[in-house]
Amino acid sequence: MPIVREIVRNKYLYVLALPGLLFLIVFAYVPMAGHLIAFKKYRLADGLWGSEWVGFDNFKFFFMSSDWYKVTFNTVFLNGLFIVCGLGIALLLAIFLNEIQSRLYKKIAQSLIFLPYFISWLVVSMMTFAFLNTTDGILNSLLIDNGMDPQNWYLKPGIWPGVLTFIYVWKFAGYYSIIFLAAITGISGEYYESAKIDGATRFQQIIHITIPLIRNVLIVLALLGVGRIFYGDFGMIYGIVGDTAPLYPTTDVIDTYSYRALRQLGDFSKSSAIIMYQSVMGLVTIVIFNAIARRIDKDSSLF
Amino acid sequence: MKTRKSLTALMVASAFAATLAGCSSKSNDSNAGGAGSASSTAPASSAAASEGSKATKLDPVTLKIVMPGDRPADMDVIIKEAEKRMADNINVKLDLVFVPWSDLAQKTQVMLASGENVDLIFDAPWLHMEQMISAGYYEPMDDLLQQYGQDAIKVRSQQMFDANKFQGKIYGLPLGNTHLAGRTYLVRKDLREKYGLQPIKTYDELIQYAYKVKENEKDVIPLLAYGQGASTDQAWGAFREYMEYPQFIRSDALGQSLVLYYKNNDGKVYNLFDEMEPTIWSWVQDARKLYTDGLIHPDVLALKDIDSVINSGKVGAAVYNEFGVPSSLNTALAKNVPGAELEAVTFMKMEKGANITNFKQANFQAIPKVSKNKERAMMFLNWTAQKENYDLLAYGIEGKNYEAVGEDQYKQIGTDYSYFPYAWVWNPTTDRLNAGFDEETIKHYQFNKDAANLTPSILTGFSFDPTPVMNEISLYNATEAKYYNSLFDGVTDPDSTWASLKKEGAANAKKIQVELQKQIDAFLAQKK
Repeated sequence: MPIVREIVRNKYLYVLALPGLLFLIVFAYVPMAGHLIAFKKYRLADGLWGSEWVGFDNFKFFFMSSDWYKVTFNTVFLNGLFIVCGLGIALLLAIFLNEIQSRLYKKIAQSLIFLPYFISWLVVSMMTFAFLNTTDGILNSLLIDNGMDPQNWYLKPGIWPGVLTFIYVWKFAGYYSIIFLAAITGISGEYYESAKIDGATRFQQIIHITIPLIRNVLIVLALLGVGRIFYGDFGMIYGIVGDTAPLYPTTDVIDTYSYRALRQLGDFSKSSAIIMYQSVMGLVTIVIFNAIARRIDKDSSLF
Repeated sequence: MKTRKSLTALMVASAFAATLAGCSSKSNDSNAGGAGSASSTAPASSAAASEGSKATKLDPVTLKIVMPGDRPADMDVIIKEAEKRMADNINVKLDLVFVPWSDLAQKTQVMLASGENVDLIFDAPWLHMEQMISAGYYEPMDDLLQQYGQDAIKVRSQQMFDANKFQGKIYGLPLGNTHLAGRTYLVRKDLREKYGLQPIKTYDELIQYAYKVKENEKDVIPLLAYGQGASTDQAWGAFREYMEYPQFIRSDALGQSLVLYYKNNDGKVYNLFDEMEPTIWSWVQDARKLYTDGLIHPDVLALKDIDSVINSGKVGAAVYNEFGVPSSLNTALAKNVPGAELEAVTFMKMEKGANITNFKQANFQAIPKVSKNKERAMMFLNWTAQKENYDLLAYGIEGKNYEAVGEDQYKQIGTDYSYFPYAWVWNPTTDRLNAGFDEETIKHYQFNKDAANLTPSILTGFSFDPTPVMNEISLYNATEAKYYNSLFDGVTDPDSTWASLKKEGAANAKKIQVELQKQIDAFLAQKK
């Protein structure tokens, strides 16, 4: 048996991997059985197996609504913005940070950029409100001081994809930039030395050495993001937008929509149906994008 | 085998019941002997429980109780005192879990669904009581009440139990200190007096006051209502339903929505999509005018914490779901704006029979099926119905957290034990009123404590089973969430908003209406 031989030969490596494997089995593979609930009329009293099978009934409430394609679009669109802007700006930040010569200044700048990552969405929500509200919001006060009319930002859905992307970048760019920075630090100094000898400028070094060498980190992070592109960040969007109805046209994502529709019903089967939908779509997307990534660069695909 | 087992169980149970019965009659006798002494106020059944404990030795049990809100600073002190008092009789220890209001629906649902070991849990029809019952999470408590809950029954009116059954059974102990929920506009008394206005008696005077605020105060927004999520009854226009006559009563099917409603007490479900009720439409248009005139808070739909806005002193008048001004609000407001004071204004009538009610209570304590201590949970609920225990749990330690004023009023001291009896112990008999309330408010409360002052709704005792129209309700809820608050707070143009709501929601609302009417007809036929 080749498998047994393989395990015996590398037994210590497998022991090392055991906690991680267990984690995956318990928290990622076992819960997959829960998808069954999506096809049942789940009642706690009857248990998972005792509940009645209902086929695709639980999916009806979502796909019968006129909003399902809109919230799906919003989810993908917002997440797309988050991935592109978040990773793009994080990459720029990492490169800029790497070019800073003073160690002290670099550390301080890095910490300050990283800081928003630790602020909870609830606090972010309050900060957003303090900034954008109509009566004494900072932005409106600035507009008034400059002789312009104040705006009711909470009634303008058009600006909110921008607002949310700005908040996302502000919160996560520092986090991703550290990953990029680690990858940049791993690049051998010899490349830069020989480039310098050949007379390359700083800018040319960035374009021709740094970026190509961290490209696969970028692709892996982007792929991981794409895998979750059908999951709206509920904590973020519900935290910031809440139940502010006028903003739904651009900010309502699958997760917030189904939360609102189901919060009074307490129906586990229907929410499982939504998760099933998100998982299947997510799986399809990641398989497609992974194939594309493999075509571009074989080493940077996930599988 | 199986039969034998259940037979044994039955025998044990009946033996236990017999012991209890024996004890209770004995203690009744001993009580009768010592009658007249002020100390023997503890009613018979609790004595029975305590006697029972001596006979069968009740083991100490910790009850996990889930409640909404924030844990008061002095909670542990009160728990300690309560446990001390219970040690000799029902021998219960308390593990109180507080769930923030904003997470309440979600968290309690997850607790129930995951089978977490909870012994008593707060639920309400406006939360998800019916759904949780039809999902089979709660234990019917009729028998438990009869057996262990005599005091809890005694302090509540018969209507309160009859009207708050679900599917014919009592699934939760009704919590309420009155038979009709109060509604109030909180008005800044200091501002009103500043403009030389008389106390507000009508809605028009309220609006006059609001325009005065608009003219004179640059930093105060005249009117504030709710605009988020499930508080749809507190949107400015929808709130007026509580104060105007004849009454339009929200249906049992769509939470706080006015789209399906009852009127004239005729047992019919009316649908605003079929025919717009002119009065309701006038409320919408009035709200729109107030919003465009800048009277209603411009961010009304985005505000999450209404109380804090009131406390900041930047609001002239706000809607509120009780009679009277809660002392916590007045204290906080006075801290932020010296000299500021709120007064309660309500246009609800205090005439015998003017208000129709179905005696439904808004809050309940239910016993989950998974609880291993159902009997003890009921004994605890029963224990809380005794005056001195009620005082402890509702108001805290006398002299430290509150001061008793006569038999039925109290004065709160400090803020270490905030007011939340509605979450677990409320009843109309042992409840005390805030002595800080104005005379009018106290009159309202006392008037509505008496069930005879209200007109019973023809649908008293009816409850809606949403199962057949679950999909339609979830779809309709999602649609309504987009438009309802904007409409009734006047934020968007009434005609186009109503048209959108009608276009997307009418079909589902119709199906729900038909199902509701079907169940009502069956209920009324059975009643005859």
